[in-house]
Amino acid sequence: METGNSFTKRFVMERKPQTIWRAPHALWFFAMGVGGALYLNRALLGIEMGRLWGLSLADLLSLALISVGGLILISDLGQPLRFWRALANPRYSWISVGAICDFVFLFLDVLVILPDLEIGGGRPLAGLPWAGGAFLGTAMEVVAGVAALIVIVYPGLVLSYSPSIPFWNTALIPLQFLAYAFASALGLALIYGATGLAPPASSQTWLLLLGGILALCLLLFVAHLLGAAYTRATARESARLLVSGHLAAPFLGGGLVLGLAVPLLAVLFARPWAGGPPDTVLVLLAGALTLPGNLLSKYGVIRAGIYPPFL
Amino acid sequence: MPRWGMVIDLTRCVGCYACTMACKVENGTPPGIWYAPVYEKELGHYPTVKRLFIPALCNHCHDAPCVKACPSGALRKREDGIVVVDQDRCCGSRACMAACPYGALHFYAKEEGEYGPERTAFEQAFYKPYKVGTVQKCTFCAHRIDRGVLTPACVETCPTGCRVFGDLSDPDSEVSHLIRRRNGVQARPEAGTCPSVFYLR
Ligand code: SF4
Ligand code: SF4
Repeated sequence: METGNSFTKRFVMERKPQTIWRAPHALWFFAMGVGGALYLNRALLGIEMGRLWGLSLADLLSLALISVGGLILISDLGQPLRFWRALANPRYSWISVGAICDFVFLFLDVLVILPDLEIGGGRPLAGLPWAGGAFLGTAMEVVAGVAALIVIVYPGLVLSYSPSIPFWNTALIPLQFLAYAFASALGLALIYGATGLAPPASSQTWLLLLGGILALCLLLFVAHLLGAAYTRATARESARLLVSGHLAAPFLGGGLVLGLAVPLLAVLFARPWAGGPPDTVLVLLAGALTLPGNLLSKYGVIRAGIYPPFL
Repeated sequence: MPRWGMVIDLTRCVGCYACTMACKVENGTPPGIWYAPVYEKELGHYPTVKRLFIPALCNHCHDAPCVKACPSGALRKREDGIVVVDQDRCCGSRACMAACPYGALHFYAKEEGEYGPERTAFEQAFYKPYKVGTVQKCTFCAHRIDRGVLTPACVETCPTGCRVFGDLSDPDSEVSHLIRRRNGVQARPEAGTCPSVFYLR
């Protein structure tokens, strides 16, 4: 963090790169997204990925990732000890909404999973009032689910609500964040499945689902790049940086080819619709590559932010 | 209640940077923070090239994206239209800086002087007690306005009379006249921020 801003580095009226959001923010957005999607995949599709001390691994990973995302957010503040102030403007600020949802999610998910905790072969907290399918427990899960959904999309909404940077000023960004988050969460489930711990039929379904999400995600990125290329000059320059400029390696190479196109091809070659267990190497390839791809795509989109000259 | 605004006549600015320096002295801003930069722009092609000087500052936008982006509610719009930051509430997220289309917000990262970590006697006397880790911005010299001095330091200092300050809500004020008569334009109108600073070409 430097004193000043990127505009006054040179007193010249020209395009200025945004320097506020950087690599740690990409990691924050990535962790929040995958964490939220892991929870929703578990809650909606039953993808638990095994259990540890009786607790769903998907929930534990989700809690860990969202905590890491929150810690990155806090450590990046100029005044980290004032982090609680970031909750003060939910009426207008998506960061505020997101920060509140982080805390709501962490609080509720911990409560939701507590009754399942196994210690010494017993479940000492099984008698909690929201345990065992009680209405209260279901209500807590629903609220945690809504919070998880917001946690996935709010970084994208922060960017898309920025009138300052034309490349970001589109609803496609939160949609990309949403799609890639679910792709990565399914990727983790597939990695788990490839270890032989999940029934092959589950891996087939997850692979099919992943294929659909990857195709959708690819379409969203292509639409964003094409939209930028045919609109304002500054957005066009952002798209150029991502496709042929210094961000092409992380974004085009990492985010789109490695993270979306190669896994999509792996899904197609694995032919999950044909019946029979899919090839483990292809499953692993499809699952694992969505993770760095997701992170790199976010890094690219963030770093491609440019302010146009204002006069 | 007035709505304070500024008109900047680009045909008058000679690029002397007196406003930039007056603002620094008035507000005692640390090194690297410039509330009133003057940007240069080259117009035309060789051999008919012209250099334009574009004085800038916070636009005190009517629909200020910085205020909306700020998660801690540290940025707010006063009734007279001036956008101010409360450094005791600012958590340093810098979301406002990303949202401002005009580069009018400045992060204060480290306490140091122009010539290194030790501050000179001048710096010790003139730097205001800005809080490290917070965002700072131009206030249209609100501290002067609140004392009844209705000219920000940059306006008072400009030798060419390029900057004019006044009440945009008063149709008879000089700024309103200038905007009407000379077709004043706002910076990046497509951003939908409705700035209170107008430029005359
Ligand atoms: S110019 Fe920037 S800092 Fe000033 S009010 Fe507008 S958005 Fe906020
Ligand atoms: S003081 Fe006046 S003439 Fe000099 S740079 Fe500032 S606006 Fe331009």
